[in-house]
Amino acid sequence: MAKVGVVGIGHTKFGNLSEFDLGDIMAYAATDALEDAGFLEKRKEIDQVIVGNMASGLFCHQSAVASSVISKMDMEPVPAELVENGPASGASAIKIGYMAVASGMADIVLVIAGEVMRKVTGWTGTEYVATMLHPQAEYDMGLTLPGFGGMFTRMYMEKYGLTERDLALLAVKNHANGAKNKYAHIQAECTIEAIADGPEANVVNTYVAEPLRMYSTCPVSDGAAALLLVNMDSPKAKLFSKKPIRIAGIASATDTHCVHNRKDPLKLDAVRIAGEKAYAMAGLTPKDISFAELHDAFSILELAISEEVGFFERGKSFLAVRKGETEIDGRLPINTSGGLKSKGHPVGATGVSQAVELVRQLRGEAEEGRQVRDPKYGMAVNFGGFGNNVVAMIFAKE
Amino acid sequence: MIDFSMYDFKEPEIMAYKCEKCGTLYYPAPMICGKCHSRRDPVSDAHWETFALKGPCTLLTWTRLWNLPEGYNKKYLLFGIVQFDNGLRASGRLETDNPVTGMPLVATVVSSDERPGKPVNVFVFKEAE
Amino acid sequence: MAMDAMEQKLRPPEIPLKPYPPKVITLASGEKMVVREAKREEAGALLGTIYPLLGVPADFYDIVAARMYSEILGWFRYRVANEFVLVGTINGVIAGIVTSRHVTPKLGMSLHTMTIKRGLRVGAQLFAAKMEHHLDILGEEEVYIVAESPNGFKRWMIEYELEDRSSQFPEVRHELGGVPTYVLTRPLWEAVRDVKCTGTRPVLDADLKTSAKLIMPSEYPQIPGFKR
Repeated sequence: MAKVGVVGIGHTKFGNLSEFDLGDIMAYAATDALEDAGFLEKRKEIDQVIVGNMASGLFCHQSAVASSVISKMDMEPVPAELVENGPASGASAIKIGYMAVASGMADIVLVIAGEVMRKVTGWTGTEYVATMLHPQAEYDMGLTLPGFGGMFTRMYMEKYGLTERDLALLAVKNHANGAKNKYAHIQAECTIEAIADGPEANVVNTYVAEPLRMYSTCPVSDGAAALLLVNMDSPKAKLFSKKPIRIAGIASATDTHCVHNRKDPLKLDAVRIAGEKAYAMAGLTPKDISFAELHDAFSILELAISEEVGFFERGKSFLAVRKGETEIDGRLPINTSGGLKSKGHPVGATGVSQAVELVRQLRGEAEEGRQVRDPKYGMAVNFGGFGNNVVAMIFAKE
Repeated sequence: MIDFSMYDFKEPEIMAYKCEKCGTLYYPAPMICGKCHSRRDPVSDAHWETFALKGPCTLLTWTRLWNLPEGYNKKYLLFGIVQFDNGLRASGRLETDNPVTGMPLVATVVSSDERPGKPVNVFVFKEAE
Repeated sequence: MAMDAMEQKLRPPEIPLKPYPPKVITLASGEKMVVREAKREEAGALLGTIYPLLGVPADFYDIVAARMYSEILGWFRYRVANEFVLVGTINGVIAGIVTSRHVTPKLGMSLHTMTIKRGLRVGAQLFAAKMEHHLDILGEEEVYIVAESPNGFKRWMIEYELEDRSSQFPEVRHELGGVPTYVLTRPLWEAVRDVKCTGTRPVLDADLKTSAKLIMPSEYPQIPGFKR
């Protein structure tokens, strides 16, 4: 299998971009990636474009976005297809791009992912996102993703003794990182006093899906991100000035569509298996990972995912958070970008956004104050559905 | 002849499935039995037994959901996951003043027209009387 | 100076209102928002704060700005009876404004809620403060409320589970046009107060001082590149 590396990254600022066209913001991020790679003029030499998006049909009343992006970038006749895998669409697009290069079918692949969610109101958006649930057994009941986030959090709390304050600590940590990230949706810190300890915290940090509060839930964001992949073994790799960041491992796994059908609903098997496969592919273990981007659409997921991929023992991750081990200068920094909580979560874009963060950190290009010291390997987990389709990625500094 | 019984009022029900070959229970309906690999034909349901999923169950977890999607004009709704005595589990609404994990409940089914489109059947888990 | 006789005829009768005791809320960012009653002589800063938003159609800012502008002007020039204006400030800078009117000892009329600084639930806090003033301080039994934007409808009608009295039109009628009238009754308020209304009293002198002089915002998230 050919070695696959990232030679260009692009990212829009996340936030409310609802006045813009989805294709435009995807093209913007992709153009950023081409410029970063010094390949803008040669873009028609790209063998394949893979676009990741979850629900442009619902949010923007638009289909076939891959064709739209190609046209906006004047890239015809480069082949382009769309990959959809719920909120893991972005990482799935990278995985398909990886497969194209590794198989030898393509040498240079542009992966673009984006989502515009804020053209509709928040509650309509919540409704659209809920369409990824089981249509009859979950969606029809009126359930939403935050609903499952709340029920999962309660199970975890009752089994392991996690508190709401522990979840607030994650928000404080992630906002501290996001405040320094030029791409983050919410570039502002929050304080433990305001969201957990103070007399007004109960109202200021209001419940969303008990016991999850507003500051344990990601915002609704728009945005796009892009990566340029190259076959590192091909002579074409020499076309790029920047040293590639190698994709050492990338794998995905699935789990039951209905959360209630999991033997132990507290176990996220798809995360564990995707992680194990990615480690095996990279020849690494959890101990080798220098930092990670974990899909904290709800803060509880940062904890649960960090346990499933072997960073911490089951039920112990929040103890490490209390000790500051996952802060930017801790033993294993997690969500250095601010995570979904602070950076934002334009559903289809998130996986590629996580990958961009891995590359920025491994290149040493993160902003001052949130650059991890000399990282070797970064891991990202992009979580689809409520854990029913998950992608894990490990990037390596060569 | 027209079957006029289709206009009769029917108690809303949510069906569970039993593979007749190996006896494994399912909710919601699968297309292949995970144990013996029997196929299910969704038109005839031949070789599959169906039964209404309802009655006594136990609350496994719950949430009070404040940000409801379009259509639900309520301050909040309670949701829960329950387990029935036969081992099947289900997700649905919860109607109790003081939810506690592990409490005994009774699963009922109502027809809901809160969202646009055809009414749908919804589980409501209530306290046993 | 004696008031002009004609002016005296034009002015509405006023019921002296109990003052709203200031409170302070620590927002998620850690910033302290002082919520207090605005004084008549501060109308200029309030109008100047609202004015730029007249040109923002997104989220109905234009209509809320236009209506609130006239409400504050009417209050300043004695053309609205028993109006009160609450303002939220962060380091003195106006973060949000609410307007309302005391109609009778039993009835309040909620006018408008304007959020300048977004993402920190400033609007939600100020709306709750306004209801607190009506029901807990002025002692009214009911407040009539209408929504002129989807955000407003979701926040007030649904989150407070307001009583829909639109079927009693025209006997029950909000003063703002003919939009359906909803009502916050005392029992409904009691049911949501703990999760909607917060704040610490008394406010420390140092915090209160930050709010002594109202400062017009120098930037608006609603107006990129705004320059005053």
